Amino acid sequence: MLIWVAAIRAQTPQISDNALPQVQSAALAEAEPLNVNSRYTVEDVQVVGWHVKKMSDSLRANIDRLKGEKLDRPKLEVIANEIKRELHVPKVDVTVVRGALMDEVQVTFEVPHTHEQDVELTVARFLYHSKQGWTAEGSATTHFAGNALTFGLVSDGDAMLERFAGVRAGIERGRIGSERVTLRFNFASYHNQWNLDTLTANADETYRTRQVFEPQATIELTSFLDLDLGTRFSLYRLAAPGAKAESSNAVVSTLRYHQRWGSDPSEDEEANASYNLTSATHVLASDPAYTRQTVNATYKIRRGRSTFDLAFLAGKITGVAPLFDRYVLGNASTLRGWNKYVLDPLGGSHVIHGSVNYAYRWFQAFYDTGAIWDRADQRSQKHSAGIGFKARNFQLAMAFPLVSHPEIPVFYAGMNF
Amino acid sequence: MLAEGLMMRATENRIEFSAPKLDFLSGKPLDRLKNAEAVPFDFQITLWSGTRNHVFRTLADRFVISYDLWEEKFSVNKMVAPQRSAKNLSATAAESWCLQQMALTDLNGLSPTDKLWARLEVRAEDLSPSNAVPFTHGAVTESGISLNGLLELLSRPPPSPQSRIVSDAGPVTLEALRAVRR
Repeated sequence: MLIWVAAIRAQTPQISDNALPQVQSAALAEAEPLNVNSRYTVEDVQVVGWHVKKMSDSLRANIDRLKGEKLDRPKLEVIANEIKRELHVPKVDVTVVRGALMDEVQVTFEVPHTHEQDVELTVARFLYHSKQGWTAEGSATTHFAGNALTFGLVSDGDAMLERFAGVRAGIERGRIGSERVTLRFNFASYHNQWNLDTLTANADETYRTRQVFEPQATIELTSFLDLDLGTRFSLYRLAAPGAKAESSNAVVSTLRYHQRWGSDPSEDEEANASYNLTSATHVLASDPAYTRQTVNATYKIRRGRSTFDLAFLAGKITGVAPLFDRYVLGNASTLRGWNKYVLDPLGGSHVIHGSVNYAYRWFQAFYDTGAIWDRADQRSQKHSAGIGFKARNFQLAMAFPLVSHPEIPVFYAGMNF
Repeated sequence: MLAEGLMMRATENRIEFSAPKLDFLSGKPLDRLKNAEAVPFDFQITLWSGTRNHVFRTLADRFVISYDLWEEKFSVNKMVAPQRSAKNLSATAAESWCLQQMALTDLNGLSPTDKLWARLEVRAEDLSPSNAVPFTHGAVTESGISLNGLLELLSRPPPSPQSRIVSDAGPVTLEALRAVRR
């Protein structure tokens, strides 16, 4: 380790100011923080400007926690984004100045006065899949007296066995009695279209329309653990001539874990996991009675330009579930490259799936494996692989099943699927 | 922005560059530095020999600069190997230090009588929301593409021309540069 002090003028004759520069070479430079101000302690944090009184206590608590910590400039930008999101403003300015005490700094988040975003329009998702066609979803959200009102349109040929197209609407209100409780009510009405493979396998189970009513509450148990509790009432009109409408009414609960480490966007880790229990019961006047248990887990690690993702899915249904609650593999996120109707045209009651993704800058490569079955003797593990480009939420990729005979690869492109 | 005064000097086996009037630590990048941000600057030096169509060498490096709020001095980290850092520099000294790290040490294939031209380009990387490009910040979130965010993004003024500085030198020969040295 070399430290050159004082003799620097001999090494760097162009530096001719009065300062006494310190130059460090390779080994020491690696340990040097890129921002020299990261050694200073945050003395005080202020949030000023427009609508700041509307900020939640939990966000205020996050901001207050900065006091006493060493200055982390990227983290201030993360918090500014959280303020933007919560107050629905397009801009939050961050200012850092010297504190009153030596080696301390003061941070100010300022929300400039701007026009209020009355309605937030979002293209939530779009996808083109060479075997499934187009999928798209958009929504408009407005805020009224502390409630978030959302109206959306969707046409989805990817997530389920059927293509469902229709409208969605919802109302959500946070801070019900406690900072940690959010209530929401969602409604959806869909028209359904079926693939010939599904109709050939069993047309009697298909339905023409489906309406869903979902009252739910989310409880924030800890900063990294949430619990959703609620019910889901589904009314669907069977496609068979003369068939009556049926309902599937279920208690739905989901425990979600989310943890993220590192505030530097190029050096972070993220873990997500959830356990979902859906139980349709005659107590709620449901026609089918079944229980669906699903475990999902993802882990992502980013180091410089490399990103490594792992994903795991396992699920089991006991009883006979309607087609919209059965598992599907072979779409744009599971067993990519396979055709979901070839794997199981009626969906499965058991599923297990794993994915490994590696991305270097925009280039990505992935491998999927999984199985879907109803009876144990039907269980057959499948594999697929693919390559493509990925930038944030956007993906363009080509995937193919790993089988002994050549198959036409699947091409897909889109966002947030 | 075109800056004046890129200067070259040569020893037996290296060409060094300096630009006393470079002044890239000014304007918006300086505002960001004085707001405790670490600002990356990308440097590129292109050297032509013989004719203006023949690129002899291209040198590129990245320097991350921060401004100490209490010491009121600059700190520089050279990111391309060999990594180095320097602290307690004035603005002029920080600018000079960056250029000193860009010396050309491999002169093989360069004739002493060939004409030489050099161009220095300095670009401040601006990751702030006001210079965000679509699909990287603000308009695209985990919940999708915000059309309001896109409208806001498209109605912003263009980025300041200050963020890119170009300075030229030449034509001059290696022989002449060495003679000045002596």
